[in-house]
Amino acid sequence: MSAISPLAAAPAGPLSRLLSRHSGAIIAAVVFAALLLVVDLVSAGRLTYFDISFLSSGGATSALAAIGQTLVILSGGFDLSAGAVISLVNVVLATGMDPMATGSSVVLWTLVGIGVGMLVGAFNGFFIAILRMQPIVVTLSTMFILQGITLLVMDKPGGFVSPDLGAFYLGDAVAGWLPMPLVVIGVVLLAWFWLKGTRFGTALYAVGSDPDAAASVGVRVVLVRFLVYVVAGGCYGLAGVFISAQTGSGDPLVGNPLLLSMFAAVVVGGTRLGGGQGGPVGTVFGAYILMMVVNILLVLNVSAYYSTIAEGTILILAVLAGSLSHGSVLARQFRAARARLTAWRAGMLPSQIDRVDRRLRIARDSAGDQPVPRPPFHVRNAETLRYALPAYICLAVVVIVTQIWLGRAIFNVTYWNSLFVLSSFLAILALGQGSVILTGGLDLSVPWTIGLSGILLAGMVNGSDAALAYALPTVLVIACFIGLANGIGIVFLGISPIVMTLATNGILQGFALLYSQGTPAGFSSPMLRWFMTGKLFALTPVVLFMIAFVVFAVLLLGRTAFGRRIYGIGNSLRAAQLSGIAVGRTLILVYMLSAVCAAIVGIMLTGFSGQASLGMGDDYLLPSIAVVVVGGALITGGRGHYLGMLGGVLLLTALQMLLAGTTLPYATRAILYGLVVLGAVMALRERRLQ
Amino acid sequence: MGIGSKARRLALLAGMAVCACGVSAAEAAEKHKIFLSMSFIGNDWQAEAANMVKAMASHKSMADKVDLQVQVAGPNAQRQIQQINAMVQAGAEAIVIFPISPTALNQVVKNACDKGVKVFAYDAEITEPCAYNVHIDQEEAGRVTAEWLVKKLDGKGNIIAVTGVPGTSVDDLRTKAAKEVLAKYPDIKIVGEAVGMWSQAVARTELSKILATRSWDDIDGLWMQVGCFTANSMQLEAGKKTSELLPCAGEGSNGGRIQMLPEGTEVEGASSPYAPLGAPRISYASPPYSGALALTLAVEALEGKDVPKKTILPLPVVTNETIKLCDEGTWAEMKAGCNAFKPSLVSNPGWFASIFSDQTPEIGLAAALVGQPEE
Repeated sequence: MSAISPLAAAPAGPLSRLLSRHSGAIIAAVVFAALLLVVDLVSAGRLTYFDISFLSSGGATSALAAIGQTLVILSGGFDLSAGAVISLVNVVLATGMDPMATGSSVVLWTLVGIGVGMLVGAFNGFFIAILRMQPIVVTLSTMFILQGITLLVMDKPGGFVSPDLGAFYLGDAVAGWLPMPLVVIGVVLLAWFWLKGTRFGTALYAVGSDPDAAASVGVRVVLVRFLVYVVAGGCYGLAGVFISAQTGSGDPLVGNPLLLSMFAAVVVGGTRLGGGQGGPVGTVFGAYILMMVVNILLVLNVSAYYSTIAEGTILILAVLAGSLSHGSVLARQFRAARARLTAWRAGMLPSQIDRVDRRLRIARDSAGDQPVPRPPFHVRNAETLRYALPAYICLAVVVIVTQIWLGRAIFNVTYWNSLFVLSSFLAILALGQGSVILTGGLDLSVPWTIGLSGILLAGMVNGSDAALAYALPTVLVIACFIGLANGIGIVFLGISPIVMTLATNGILQGFALLYSQGTPAGFSSPMLRWFMTGKLFALTPVVLFMIAFVVFAVLLLGRTAFGRRIYGIGNSLRAAQLSGIAVGRTLILVYMLSAVCAAIVGIMLTGFSGQASLGMGDDYLLPSIAVVVVGGALITGGRGHYLGMLGGVLLLTALQMLLAGTTLPYATRAILYGLVVLGAVMALRERRLQ
Repeated sequence: MGIGSKARRLALLAGMAVCACGVSAAEAAEKHKIFLSMSFIGNDWQAEAANMVKAMASHKSMADKVDLQVQVAGPNAQRQIQQINAMVQAGAEAIVIFPISPTALNQVVKNACDKGVKVFAYDAEITEPCAYNVHIDQEEAGRVTAEWLVKKLDGKGNIIAVTGVPGTSVDDLRTKAAKEVLAKYPDIKIVGEAVGMWSQAVARTELSKILATRSWDDIDGLWMQVGCFTANSMQLEAGKKTSELLPCAGEGSNGGRIQMLPEGTEVEGASSPYAPLGAPRISYASPPYSGALALTLAVEALEGKDVPKKTILPLPVVTNETIKLCDEGTWAEMKAGCNAFKPSLVSNPGWFASIFSDQTPEIGLAAALVGQPEE
């Protein structure tokens, strides 16, 4: 949350200006060098050219893809389709290349790969730049569509990529001195330096910093945004070509797991999420830092159970190393604490001063004071309705289609009951993730908060209803501490929410593995199972709980001071701070709320399945973000209503139920799912820039 | 490497506070350096397989021959490539791999083979010809289970198919083989198909979605890669009697095996739905002992014995006719034919029960549960 900081005082000399402007990249480079030194020290023998060559090829795919992601993030966007593009290019090359033709052209197939990526980028760019839709939901839909297309091209691993490609990309540029992967990355970076110097480069940073200001000085915001996604697509395409060269064959799932670490690479490399600050050079170092961590863990022979904990810790330390400067959040927190202490000694703290009402007295014109008539409901809530209604309209359409196609929907109690039971998980997550998003953050620790909570609960309960009495509060208190840890890292250490929660997620995964020793023991108690799967007047009890929860959530966000503060922080952090909102405390509470919501879902899933399993939360991360955005919330914070998010939850669940009822192949379902989500949010287009 | 430099390095590491687990201080010279590269550790199957490999390595017949190091790659093939490379660098003599992708590792495996490293893949396959593979015949698994289901249904009825992870070879081979069998019977209809991701939790969510617009009465049978245990629980919740449970061809989880025992069987620690129900089932699995077996084969290969490139494991199949409860779960007891474990010993119903192999007398139930070899 570097945005909390007041702008750092501008340094004087040209050298220090240069340093401060590139501080992110420089710190990443220093951390990288330190890690390289560690690898050199702990591994047997000195690093040889061969080691360097193999390290350089190991990190090249994620470095290339992360460069593309950096450009998108610099422009203020977000691209979830990157991993899917890599898979698609991989299978296109593996099916397209002829194993018999020995002299297949490296240049031709590289261009094909980059071309496929740019095409996808143009698709993203069209919806984001020209139709002004939110990047996160457009690229999420694209991700599903691409995964479907990839499986249509190749439904299982196989195929053949010409060894010529491998020989070229993994070979030496200068034998014994310079491995080819570094040259490829170097060429891309040189292209970036050229691009940065053009008007497009300047416009890119301008759009990312402030699109309105950019537009008013004559930058063609739409064109710049469109081109950013096309260029980024080209980078993912090149990454796909590289991984094809590296693996020599096709696998439709190869790129998908690269997505999250890509964001980590961007942030570790010093680029600010939200745009306008940073650059691809730092990202390249970031990608290699993340890769080196794996090697260090291997050399140290860290137990498998600890490896995610170690990775998470190293991620946090690497980012913290970057904030050891005078202007860092941590340093400012120390100075502020010292100032508070001095003030306390002098008796000058606000809490030590007598409370006097110092509010301005606004003179009231009592004569002829007609109460202004309240505007009608639809006018008062025009904005909320505009963003929340599309989800409900689409939901109605999906339900009607289900009725026509499969029958037994609208007039079938079982259908509605199943819809609400299956929605309940996301509906609860939507409050937590939604609140975090409303403040402009993102909580990536949801999956393993769910997993750890479920495993702890199942282990403690072990089939006994009596044990629920202490197991439930214990799990919820632990969740509070998880949220507290996230909040403290973000507020007091100034770590960006994505990095902090990503690291927490890894650490929690480690704890879950250690606690369960790989196989979670225990099972849900009869009462919890009844709550999730039993019947109470034709309805499952959890449906009633969900109704109560929705009322609670609407009141919490809409009618309490806490809710108002969340919106205030999301709209403008600075303004919120200056209006006297305790920003830090509110943010910490928001992350605690998110963790508690995730824990409740973990408990519910345990009841639903009868047991807990590792990784049971993994399927809920992207949907928890998607429903919030489909429900009309703004990913950068400040706008959104819980009822809209609920509409998003119901829509996505109903859509999945419709697709599950058909016997369409999985690939087709994935494509349809992506298209419907894209269509549903078409109505959420942002207003044209003035 | 001298003691002094090692101490210096350890001190450096301690100072970095990265991790408490240092480099093992004394390594016997004659021990074979073998690495295990696992995939995602976060599921029961992987954890069991890892336990069994570790138990095998610590068995008294192996302990003085093998120095085993375990690494986890997660679901990321790119990282596994990097790990294997690093293992070769670290001086591995053999690498035992659960391959995340059958093809993506080919280059790096070939590179390892060229350096004289023996590469053994367990459960899934590596298509690079220099690698040794230890796994079951996935097509046979699909075929046998589908044939059983057709026979149970007398060649007629509506079935629901729940598959594995789309885009993997294992899922593709099993599902295609099963569908080929089913296609021969025009009266068998697949009325619903869902992606189960080899997870009981996902199977429940997907079945709930399908049953929102369908009733159990319209369905005559289930073909699932994982999820029969869950499907039986759901039928009971929907008010079916145990005698009305649908025939289900599916996974070899212990919960499913216990459900296959005749209703009323005395079983220590059982509570519904993890209890004997007399459920009509065929239970098969990719056995988690394959990693341990791959390790023994790797040692044999390092000792100069001739090991075939492909070891096809017998498909462990259990039906209501062959189901038998184990008392303690020793290897000798399993050898005598038992194949299900008491819930008081195995509290997790999703735990995989196909742990017996003729060729691995070193490991029994304790190995799979906690990594403890047989005496």
